[in-house]
Amino acid sequence: MTVETKMPMVLDVISENIIKHGSPLALKGSEVSSWAKELDLPAKGEVLFYTGGEYQMLPFIDSLVKTITHLDQGSKVFSMMMGARNILNKTGFSPEKMYASVLAKDKDRYNSVCFKAAKVLQELGYEFCYSGKEELYSGALLYELGYLQDMEDYVKRVVEVIKKSGAKTIVCLSPHAAEVFKFVYPKMVEGFDFEIRTYVDLVWERRDKLAKLQSAESVVIHDSCRLARELGIHQELRDILVSIGADVKEAPMSREWTSCCGGPIKILFPELSHVIGERRVTELKESGSSHILTSCPYCLSALEAGRIKGDSAVVEDLIEFLYRGVKA
Amino acid sequence: MTVDLRKDFVNYAKSLNAASEDKNIRTAISRAVTSYRNTVTETLERFPHTPELAEEVQEIKRQSMANLDNLLETAMASVERNKGKAFYAKDHQAALDIALGIIGKGKTVVKGKSMLGEELHLREYLEDNGNEVWETDLGEFILQLRKERPMHILSPSIHVPREQVAEVFTKFFGKVVPPDIAEEVKVVKEFLREKYFTADIGISGANVVAADTGAMVIIENEGNVRLATGAPPVHIVMVGVEKLVPTFQEAMKVAEVTWRYAQYGVPGYVNIVSGPSKTGDIEKVTTYGAHGPKEFYVIFVDNGRNEMAHEEKFSQALHCLRCGGCMYECPVFQVTAGHFGHTYMGGIGAIWTAFVSGGMEKAAPLVYSCLRCGRCVERCPMSINVPAMIGELRERVIYGKLEG
Ligand code: SF4
Repeated sequence: MTVETKMPMVLDVISENIIKHGSPLALKGSEVSSWAKELDLPAKGEVLFYTGGEYQMLPFIDSLVKTITHLDQGSKVFSMMMGARNILNKTGFSPEKMYASVLAKDKDRYNSVCFKAAKVLQELGYEFCYSGKEELYSGALLYELGYLQDMEDYVKRVVEVIKKSGAKTIVCLSPHAAEVFKFVYPKMVEGFDFEIRTYVDLVWERRDKLAKLQSAESVVIHDSCRLARELGIHQELRDILVSIGADVKEAPMSREWTSCCGGPIKILFPELSHVIGERRVTELKESGSSHILTSCPYCLSALEAGRIKGDSAVVEDLIEFLYRGVKA
Repeated sequence: MTVDLRKDFVNYAKSLNAASEDKNIRTAISRAVTSYRNTVTETLERFPHTPELAEEVQEIKRQSMANLDNLLETAMASVERNKGKAFYAKDHQAALDIALGIIGKGKTVVKGKSMLGEELHLREYLEDNGNEVWETDLGEFILQLRKERPMHILSPSIHVPREQVAEVFTKFFGKVVPPDIAEEVKVVKEFLREKYFTADIGISGANVVAADTGAMVIIENEGNVRLATGAPPVHIVMVGVEKLVPTFQEAMKVAEVTWRYAQYGVPGYVNIVSGPSKTGDIEKVTTYGAHGPKEFYVIFVDNGRNEMAHEEKFSQALHCLRCGGCMYECPVFQVTAGHFGHTYMGGIGAIWTAFVSGGMEKAAPLVYSCLRCGRCVERCPMSINVPAMIGELRERVIYGKLEG
């Protein structure tokens, strides 16, 4: 027997946003792809550069969570939720209103990660295409949160966009996208035989061409769970950093034993997620370095939030770190 | 029909938040995690054959779960052949009814630690029915006095520091008990010693059951299980059917892997009980109840386990040895302890909650607080793929498949 389950509203919002707008936070394609304006990337090619809009949406997640947690715990919970749900059903969640409070500097930072990634790859001699404002989110959260039946329909649309590019290889910036493309899509879409690669993987292959650091900076790697355990990529990160002359320190728990950043439960249990992020930052600093590098949008955002006020730790994505070499 | 889980999520989030602010939990678990990791590394170095043995045990478990009905039949016959009495309890209530039927009213019962006992709320049920019941595991005894539920499957009172133990003991024993661990252990020893020898019934669980011999294998360190199952005239074993394996030899393998990952290294005691105490020393006439119990009962409890065994995606969860390793590696458990759980805890606990103890509605919030980070799988000697099962349960929750 099946029943109708009423789940916390944040799940409704996110899943419906993905299904209706191709983005967990209903961001517009034009906004998500704005980083690529000056790069003039082709729409077709052998290798598809895939962002999934994930880095771009990072600065908005917190406001969404804040707004919704507030709703869930407010006194007029139900009427407000009904109101919000109606808005959602009729017009989609209005990102403009919800996200008005997001700081411009955060928006700029996360929006530019994709730009930087593309630049680094170009510098290494890679050529690739990009779907621009048509690009759709991979649906990883549908998979993660249990909306698998909805995902079966959704992925068809994603695949259509991917196919338009004519690419044979998809390069994912986010390990979550790589995970679903690699392990979930083939089960849902017949003949989904693209070669799935990660950004890290591509950089690793041509790491000798990377610009060397001016002076040996010490860094510590936060291995993303997906990258280290599901995709088995952890040595590659170290190789890349060593090859540019960084002094790589190791945290007590790393590689396949890495501690999760807390990100995955952020939307439902934000406070707890935060505590876990804080603990991971502390653990990473035990390595002797406070310069934390990761290679996953959610880790980036969760660890950034896990820095306690006034903490001297620096949290960066590998992309941001490598880009500095390109610029120099 | 509509099931509204929104309030449950809000309340659950509150309890997790409160737990994560609890200094006692933080300190205790941090200490426990470090010591767990160190002990396991050390004992695996000392006994390097263990990981390979664990793989063998995975296969033993897999075949046992595929053969559950046969094993149960064999085991029950073995127990009867040993002059014990074997029962099968389909569900929670049946298990309690059978136990109460054996025990009756007005009895004193001493009990060893058992997660199944927690699952059934056994102590409370027996007490409500006019019996005096004592938990003999020190941690469980502390919780009994504090009227709390366990916060860890192996170290149930992990969150209670010595000062708080002293407080509750001082009140209970009506004399000043200092916050000194040795003293605290001693007062309980003196108190329970008397209970063992006046109790009518001893109840225990079992870590493994060998079907061929009807041997119940019980691993412990304190020595309370020896006394609780040896001194009273009646011994009742209550055990989940997932503990069954075909042979005695295999049971030993399972036991060794269990204690190694359960941080025992080498356990203080391994009890193997297969029937009532007996002697034939006078004229070769077998007489029961020589030094130990005259009566021996085994209640095999199903309570959702068989259904789980038949679900392809979940039967692996029955391989769980309850070593507790995964919980130490779980970032959520590390800050919330047993609050991330119902009876059973952590990610594997969420699976067990869905099928065995609580049901899907209780499991739903737990299932969504799992990070699916996968570190538990790295640790688990049975390589149980909890994140995959969590994903499957989420799908069931979303699409309203709340019943089996
Ligand atoms: S799931 Fe694995 S690690 Fe966790 S208690 Fe069970 S056997 Fe031990």
